[in-house]
Order: sequence, then C-alpha cells, then structure tokens
Amino acid sequence: MKTFLNAIGNIFRQPVTTKYPFEPTFKPDDYRGLIGFEESLCIWCRRCEAVCPPGAIVFSQDMEGKQTYHFNRAVCIYCGECVRACPKEGALFQTAEPAPCALKAENINNGWNKLYDDALASREAYAAEKKRRAAAEKTAATTNPIKPAASEGE
Amino acid sequence: MSKQYEIPIGAQHISLLEPLHFKFTTENEKVVRTDANVYYVHRGIEKACCTKFKFRQVSFVVGRVCGLCSISHTTAYSQVAEKLVKIEIPKRAKYLRMLVIELDRIHSHLLCLSHVAENSGFEALFMKTMQYREFAMELLEAVCGNRIQYDFSIVGGVARDLKPLVANSIIARLKTFMPQLDELVDIYSNNWTLSLKNKGAGVITKETAMRLNVVGPFARSAGLAIDVRNDTEDLLPWKEVGFEMITDTAGDVYARNMVRLRELYVSIRIIQNVINGLPEGELVTETKAFPDGEAVVRLEAPRGELFYYAKGNKTQMLERLKIKAPTFSNIAGMVEAFEGNEYGSVPAIIASYDPCLSCTAR
Repeated sequence: MKTFLNAIGNIFRQPVTTKYPFEPTFKPDDYRGLIGFEESLCIWCRRCEAVCPPGAIVFSQDMEGKQTYHFNRAVCIYCGECVRACPKEGALFQTAEPAPCALKAENINNGWNKLYDDALASREAYAAEKKRRAAAEKTAATTNPIKPAASEGE
Repeated sequence: MSKQYEIPIGAQHISLLEPLHFKFTTENEKVVRTDANVYYVHRGIEKACCTKFKFRQVSFVVGRVCGLCSISHTTAYSQVAEKLVKIEIPKRAKYLRMLVIELDRIHSHLLCLSHVAENSGFEALFMKTMQYREFAMELLEAVCGNRIQYDFSIVGGVARDLKPLVANSIIARLKTFMPQLDELVDIYSNNWTLSLKNKGAGVITKETAMRLNVVGPFARSAGLAIDVRNDTEDLLPWKEVGFEMITDTAGDVYARNMVRLRELYVSIRIIQNVINGLPEGELVTETKAFPDGEAVVRLEAPRGELFYYAKGNKTQMLERLKIKAPTFSNIAGMVEAFEGNEYGSVPAIIASYDPCLSCTAR
C-alpha cells in the first residue's frame, strides 16, 4: 500500500536533477578556478613555474631581460601549488571562475608546446647574451678601453 | 560431462565499469572456471613519478591514479614522502585528512552499492542511491574545491583549511543523510528481488579469503577482520575518532552490501567526531629536506589496503615509487569466488567486488 501511494506521489514530484544549461549547478565559494596573475606585483622569481606539476606556467624573456608570464588553462590542474609557492602576496591568486572551453582556433595543445619550448629557448638566449655582454665588458675594461666591443653581430 | 561453453566479458562491456576481461567457462549456466586479464590501462605512472616530477609534485600525479579514491592515493604518498623527509605533520592536518578520506569512502561505497543494484537488475535503486550520493560529492567540492581530483594532501600537511561554514554544512547534510541511509539499508536488506539475486552469490569463505590475501570490504564480508585503520595508529589516529571494525560472516554479495552500508554509519560518526574535535593549529609543516632512505605506508582506501613504497636518494627526484592498489590483492579472490555461480549473477558479483582496475594497472 505504501509503495502504491509512493508511486502515485512520484507523478507529481519534481525531478532531483538540475536542468543544467538553464540552471546553474552547485559551486562552492572557494571553487578551484582560474589562476589570476597581477603583473605589477610580480617579482619574477619564477618559483611558480618551478613548482607547477603539469608545467602550465612558463616565463619567456626578451633580449632586454623583460619577462612575460604565460599560462595555459588546459594544462593547469588547478591545484593551487603556484599560489602557495608565490612569495609575493597578491601576485598570483586563485579565482572561483571555472575555465572556459578551448576553441580550435586557439591551438591550445600544439601552440602551447611550441610556446613552452620557445620560452625556454628565449631564456637561454638571454642568458647567453648576458654572459657575452659581461665577457665583452670585462675584456673591454681589462685590455683597451678605446677598442669597441668587436663581436656585436654574433 | 556436459558441454562447456566459454563466455567472455570485457574488456568493454555495458555491465563493467572498468577495463577488465573475464573468460568464464560455463557448464549448464554454472561457472566452472574463470580467467581474468586486468592490465588494459597501463599508464606508466610509477616511472613518470621517478623521472619527470619532483617529489613534491608527485602527490598531484598519484592523485590521478584513481578517480574514486584520489584522496587515499594522495594521502598515502604524502605520508610516505613525509617519512622520507622525516617530518611530523600538524594534528589539524591529520584530522582534515581523515575527514576527506571518510567523505570519499561514503561516496565510493554508495557508488559501488548503486552499481550492484544496477547489475542485479534494479535500476530504480541505482538511481536512488546515486541521488543520495550527490551530497557527498557536493561536500567534497565544498571542502576541497573540486568534485573529483581533490589535491587536498600535500607533502607536509593539507592544502586547504576547513571553513566553519563548510563544517556546519557537513554536519547538517549528514543529519539529512541519516534517514536516507536508513532507507537504503531497509531496501538493500529487505527487498525480496535483491536478496533473491544476491544471497548466496559469489561466496568466499574466511579460509579462502585468508589464503588468497583478500583485503577491504571483500574480506570483511567473509569474516576476516582486516582493516588498516585498526592496525596503524602512528600516521592517522583512527581509534581516537571512533573507528569500529565491521565484519559479516556470509561472504556473499548480500554480505558485502551490508558491510558497505554499515561502514557508512562508521564513516558518518568519524566525520562528526573529526569536526567536533578539530584541533587548532598549523596546516603544513614546512621543510627544505630532500627524501632519503626507504619507507613504506599502508592506508585503508575504500576498497582495502593501499600500499606505497618509496625510495629517495637525497635529490628532488625519487629513485623508486611502488604503488600496490587494493584491487590487485583481490584479483585472486575475485576469480575464486565466481566458481559454482549462475552465469546470470556474474555482473552483480563483479560489481560487488568494487574493482578498480585503473588503480591496479596504473
């Protein structure tokens, strides 16, 4: 009898599921969402890049030594390890905003792999350039101060 | 001797959740012999942990070994790494780890129960159990910030604190879950169809379970009192928060259901005790040491004993990491318990083992 009444009642009962695209699903306030970056506060220590488990953060460097922050939301696992490692309060922070889907035009996999390799190469190039400049300055200081740095276009 | 037929199940099959392959030799619909092949999803995680990732990053990698017992893997690795770098974690971190492990156990056990119901042909109960399971997923999302990959334990402690608001909501949601759990226990134990199908199916005796080294609810349903939470006190203080051993004697699918359901009550009590007695203090013990030496850790995952071995050589990279998932211990017992059963009850028996082959093969 109880089962019968239950069955009749079920006709009028609302479904327990949410109509997802039209209604929002449950999301806690401190959801682990996108990683935010505040460039003005960054001290460019690259600690976040060192601790990131999947390698979703990389810094490239131009020939003047200026670094640029790159972040890939498709590689990131949103663990927040970079935020914990960041020594400067507020430079890196985790928002509650879920990552948007990647589009084909973004070329998020192959493009990122290329960017990652290019970034590492650009840092190596800057380090080599810095070393060369230091060496050139040293030789210029020790030998003949009038003689200009010869190996400019290497 | 009547004619024998070989019936394969898997590696992809609608009643299987996991990529495993069983070959049943049947005689008049009775299973007489079983062959199992489980290594379909080798991902090379152990090697990656020793070559590509630093030891602090490995806890996030091993969290991806299994979706259901993610926190067990992360915690077990964190503990083994803490042994290698020789630090003691704060008590608050221990309590929070236990909280998340038990919440994880609730959702994992309910998932297993729902699949047993589904594979026994009771789809409505599957949906009901899944509906009641949703609260555990939402609480885990509120505590850890993510539904599946928790990333909660890190080497030295836990990554996030428990907010008072979330703690209150856990207590409140558990209170509403209690009558629902009573209802589930009533259905799983008294439903005529379900008991007809499940009682006496997939029986494993206590002696066989002991001989084949079976672990987890599979062993406890056969009367073998084996639970890591009962044995170890040094890493997580289980007895302090009211752990109690649950065993049954029958060793069939029905007994396994009952053990899982009764363990949910214990999990609920542990969670309530953890929240009520949550000590104040730090979340993480910081250290700059590198792993050195060898260490072994055991932890009770929802499916049984999880085993981690790690070896460090004073560098950032581990020299060796060995994971033994609970299902690996259970495979021999799984194959044994099919014998003499009707072929029709095989899907329900497979689901009642709660196999996690992605864990096992990694």
